[in-house]
Amino acid sequence: MPSNRTTRTFEWPKSDPDEVLDLCRELVEDPSYPSVKRWREAGGSVVGHFQVYFPEELAHAAGLLPIKIRGAILDATHAESRFGSYLCSILKTSLELALSGKLELDMFVSHPICDAARNLAAIWGRNVDYPCQILYLPQNANSAHSIEYLTGEYARILRSLEEVAGRRVTDADVWRAIEVFNLNRALLRELYSIKRERPWLLSAEEGYLLTALAGILPRDEHNELLEWLLPLIRQRDRKRQDRIRVVFEGGFCEQPPLDLIRTIGRSCYLVDDDLLIGLRWLLEPVPTGGPPLEALAHAYLESSSYSPVQHDLRKPKEKMLLERIDRSGADAAIIGAAKMCEPGLEEQVAYTGALDQHDIPYLVTEFQETMSSFEQMELQLETFAENLLFA
Amino acid sequence: MIFTAGIDVGSTYAKAVVLADGKQVLGTAMARTGFRLPEISRRVFEEALGAAGRREDEIAYVIATGFGRHQVPFCDVAVTDLTAAARGAAFFFPQSRTVLDIGGQTMKASRIDEHFKVRSFRLNDKCAAGTGAFIEKTAQYMGYQTDEIGVLASTSKDPAPISGVCAVFAESEVINHLSLGRPPADIMQGAIVSLVGRAVQLMKRVRMEPEYTLLGGILRFPTMAVEVQRHLGCAVNLPPGDMVQFAAGVGAAFLGYRRASLPDPVAGGAGRARRAHPAGL
Repeated sequence: MPSNRTTRTFEWPKSDPDEVLDLCRELVEDPSYPSVKRWREAGGSVVGHFQVYFPEELAHAAGLLPIKIRGAILDATHAESRFGSYLCSILKTSLELALSGKLELDMFVSHPICDAARNLAAIWGRNVDYPCQILYLPQNANSAHSIEYLTGEYARILRSLEEVAGRRVTDADVWRAIEVFNLNRALLRELYSIKRERPWLLSAEEGYLLTALAGILPRDEHNELLEWLLPLIRQRDRKRQDRIRVVFEGGFCEQPPLDLIRTIGRSCYLVDDDLLIGLRWLLEPVPTGGPPLEALAHAYLESSSYSPVQHDLRKPKEKMLLERIDRSGADAAIIGAAKMCEPGLEEQVAYTGALDQHDIPYLVTEFQETMSSFEQMELQLETFAENLLFA
Repeated sequence: MIFTAGIDVGSTYAKAVVLADGKQVLGTAMARTGFRLPEISRRVFEEALGAAGRREDEIAYVIATGFGRHQVPFCDVAVTDLTAAARGAAFFFPQSRTVLDIGGQTMKASRIDEHFKVRSFRLNDKCAAGTGAFIEKTAQYMGYQTDEIGVLASTSKDPAPISGVCAVFAESEVINHLSLGRPPADIMQGAIVSLVGRAVQLMKRVRMEPEYTLLGGILRFPTMAVEVQRHLGCAVNLPPGDMVQFAAGVGAAFLGYRRASLPDPVAGGAGRARRAHPAGL
């Protein structure tokens, strides 16, 4: 199968940033994954990977399109019969994407990030006729052998990807992919620096859309888009308002609906967050040279962000949150968790304890990707913000 | 001198207030809200500036409030109606502890503390019953204009019972009363009595405490406050003249003064919200 790496899924109207952002919104909200359809129509194959982190470079190197599966706003009609009602929504809506035929894949990969997700690949695999794999990221990130172990695990996954792609993947292929993704992460870091430094130039919703787009577009296409758009965003003439600056924590797996992010953005400046953190997991460029899989494994363990589903004694989550708040100059934190999300809800205890200890105001809330009423949430947020502004 | 402005974009009317040093109302303006909220908010702002004899660049801080608060592109920050109304009530009556704000499409009761922070609040259900729209609809069913409601209701001798459950179903009640020969004034006052009954229920649910301050456009109809007083069995505060309608805007402008008094308002910087505020504000 030929490589599809240079295929573009869309002709972006590069004249008006707002028009481009409207198109982003359509694409991100569309559960039928138009970019995947176009990629497949051009003869390409697609690998879907479930939250939180997956080394997408491997799929890209094989000429496959890696797609971040982050649930969807739809009725999980089929998936409800596979998963219990006591489980989180993202598991069911993600599976529903496959069962309903909205998302056609050539391979699926998940990770045992929680007890519920542990069963996802097996159930997924029983209902589709393409390979489903589990990537076992190291449970003990502090083990001396974790990099070696993870390198081997990446090699195993790469062999499956090669089978789907129908071709061998060389080290050079992986390095080329790493360059593309290094650039992408650098652009996302730039996007987040706009959020931190001039949050009035980029709304919370726009920032999220541009990030989420990385999970559904060929990454070089996303790079091209951000390289064009980010300088224009910096040039925007928008009024700076007197809003409190907040960090949102709790969006590492199931995503709050776009309306909720918009609601937060109407009362506060969202200056940093962990939304779709897997796309920004590696914090520094993966250094070139040496075996690429080892370099990726090293980066995953040694220069990476944090989430409730990675256990690393060097990165206590509450300490990492305090650093995120400090680095972004936030006034307060919004501590969210998806309904039925055990890792997220458990971490709230540590987060709020640390915030209390450091006298940092916070608002605790729960969300569900399919929620549709935001009035209560908006009132809570505004009251929270006003209490800080007019203390 | 610090000039600030409050823009209250309500569901029926948009209001703007210009305040000097958080104390003196320099100018006000009001217009039907319509459906172009950014334009109407700009228009009332400019008219209030004209009434105040001030230029836009002299205004240190603008706060938007009301249901259309997020559609005011030139504001420095938006605050909820509850916060703005609490401050507006305190501006006119510092001993206010319970605020009843009846607008075109919402009715809000809140209990505030000695620092004018909202401690408890209740909103009406999601329907027009119990709001200004209910009163307006009742008047319209009988062929009267909104500005005739006050005079009409004040001539009532025996208010007609109106259930007030639903502004739509109220039409049939009004028609029934008219067909039975009840005077329009009694029907109009009956609608007001019904509305006040709902309002007092809301006030009870926030565990109301005196002093009671009434705000909102609907309070410009004199029999409304009289009826509330009758229910509560004590006097209520009513901002002077048309200020009942501008009180939330005044509260917003006052809050703007508080922010503008800080060393670096609209700093957008870290730790800004946690900074201690100058005493006495």
